[in-house]
Amino acid sequence: MPPPAAHPARLRIVIAEDAAIMRDGLTQTLARRGHDVVAAVADAEALRQAVDTHRPDVAIIDVRMPPTHTDEGLRAAQSIHRDHPQVGVLVFSQYIEAQSATDLFAGAAGGVGYLLKDRVADVSDFIDAISRVAAGGTVLDPEVVRQLLSVGRRADALAVLTPREREVLALIAQGRSNTAIADTFTISPRVVEKHVASIFAKLGMPPSHNDNRRVLAAIKYLES
Amino acid sequence: MLTAAARLRDHPMLLDGVLAVLLFAISFGQWPASPSASLAAAVVVSAVLAATVLVRRHHPVAAFTAAMTIAATQILFGMQLAVTGPPVRALEPTATDVVIPVLLYTVAAHRPRRVSVTALVSCLVATAVAITRWAPAQVPGQSNLLFIAAAGLGGTAVAAWVLGDSMAYRYRREYYASLEERTARAEAERDAQIRIAAAAQRASELQQRRTLAIDESAARLRRIERDLHDGAQVRLAALAMTLGEIKEALDAAPAGTADGDRTRMLVSAAHQNAKETLAELRDLARGIHPPVLDRGLGPALSSLAETSPVPAELAITSTQPPSPAIASIAYFCAAELLANVAKHSAASRATISVTDQADRLLMTVTDDGVGGARLAPGGGLAGLLDRVQTVDGRLSVTSPPGGPTVVAVELPRHA
Repeated sequence: MPPPAAHPARLRIVIAEDAAIMRDGLTQTLARRGHDVVAAVADAEALRQAVDTHRPDVAIIDVRMPPTHTDEGLRAAQSIHRDHPQVGVLVFSQYIEAQSATDLFAGAAGGVGYLLKDRVADVSDFIDAISRVAAGGTVLDPEVVRQLLSVGRRADALAVLTPREREVLALIAQGRSNTAIADTFTISPRVVEKHVASIFAKLGMPPSHNDNRRVLAAIKYLES
Repeated sequence: MLTAAARLRDHPMLLDGVLAVLLFAISFGQWPASPSASLAAAVVVSAVLAATVLVRRHHPVAAFTAAMTIAATQILFGMQLAVTGPPVRALEPTATDVVIPVLLYTVAAHRPRRVSVTALVSCLVATAVAITRWAPAQVPGQSNLLFIAAAGLGGTAVAAWVLGDSMAYRYRREYYASLEERTARAEAERDAQIRIAAAAQRASELQQRRTLAIDESAARLRRIERDLHDGAQVRLAALAMTLGEIKEALDAAPAGTADGDRTRMLVSAAHQNAKETLAELRDLARGIHPPVLDRGLGPALSSLAETSPVPAELAITSTQPPSPAIASIAYFCAAELLANVAKHSAASRATISVTDQADRLLMTVTDDGVGGARLAPGGGLAGLLDRVQTVDGRLSVTSPPGGPTVVAVELPRHA
């Protein structure tokens, strides 16, 4: 099967996942989709070495790995992002903790993703997310968004936004493009652009580099 | 009269004093009238004899010996057949000599039998000697008088001894009885103490076992969650990924045959099922042991506060971490209490605080809602109380109508 036209770039990928079945499964799937898995490792230390050696486009990192099986992956992702800003980090986890997402996204200008492990089931969407992170975008699991949205105090910081603007912002935080957002709400891209401009204005972000403002808005959303 | 007798019984020294006076008084008229030196000496002898009863209770043998010495002197020097010629008038036996059987009685009652028998024998010997000294002066042929005197004196001595000895027997019996009673009481007390010590030992053993069981159970839950995470969950995710790939491959292939459509449908259903099972398994594992607890109670509560529907603030001043089992109980309490706040309180804010209180952990969840929360049997709070009590914890609810509601959970730092 030829790779979908949406992500033709051949990505160089490092995988850190301690469960062999998932590590091998991901490696094979990504290879079938035309990507290079340059290293597949089982713990955070090996991950750091692999990233230092290969400088991949993106590292896919399991949160829980030996030795403590708590949040090694998360901390490794943060340090990789600090040391190698050009390497995208996609953290995936059996569980979603809003706190972990906030930790991960705080201070990150882009190239960061946080997904539930279940998302591998929808292979194309998952690979699409990898591509977006590799390209410097942000990817946030809808589950995190759902958890944060269920918290009443989101309204405090983002009260200035209309309900539709908040929905649009939630999708921006997930790294969606304007076109994708327009498709989701079945509205025209021009209307989406109007919403986005209004969001930036209301959140006090001056018109500069467009992508950067999207990331800033997403971070504001997460930290609010 | 009765009260006087009772008073005398209660005050033995008073009784002996009265006795001494009486013993002295009964010699009145038996002392020589002249010369005055003899009278004075006789009075002194009677007084000393009578006085021996005053010390009989503390020194019965000494009192008896003193009285007997005086009596022997009287027998030797004061009788008709005196050793040194004519009898000394001042040393004539008097009625005060009745003190001897009284003292013999005392010795027999309060001293070992060999002592009292010696005393009795000395009395009888003295009696015999006295009678041999007294008899020759009597009218011959009046042997019955002699017999009466011997029987009277000897009989009195023997009677006094028998009476005293029987008292001694009674005292001994009472003493043994009281000894037995004291022994029995001491044994009962010792038994009770042994039972108390055994119960305390058992309580401490049970507590240790409970601690082991609780820690074991917490560790086992953690292990089950870990096994699910590393086993079933990851395998199912890999399976879902494979199904996803098959589904996408089938979707990309040209549609056409009925069989192909049917396969596509089945794979799609299997893919959907796998994803739903993953979500269910995740909730199940999280209910067994929230993985965030592995990072400690603080981060776990922080994650709870983060996703609480009612904005919740977290204030942790506790510096000593509880055992994993206790952390788990505290976490589930906080989760349930925050859920209650969201469901019932109509509050706009909640606060979770965790402080150290001696060797215990105090967690309070406060909200500014409508109040009126109650620890009703079968209710959610009662369920929490049950859980907290398994480790000797306490839970209290303060929730007046109109609020605020404060639920305080106190837990030992170790189960």
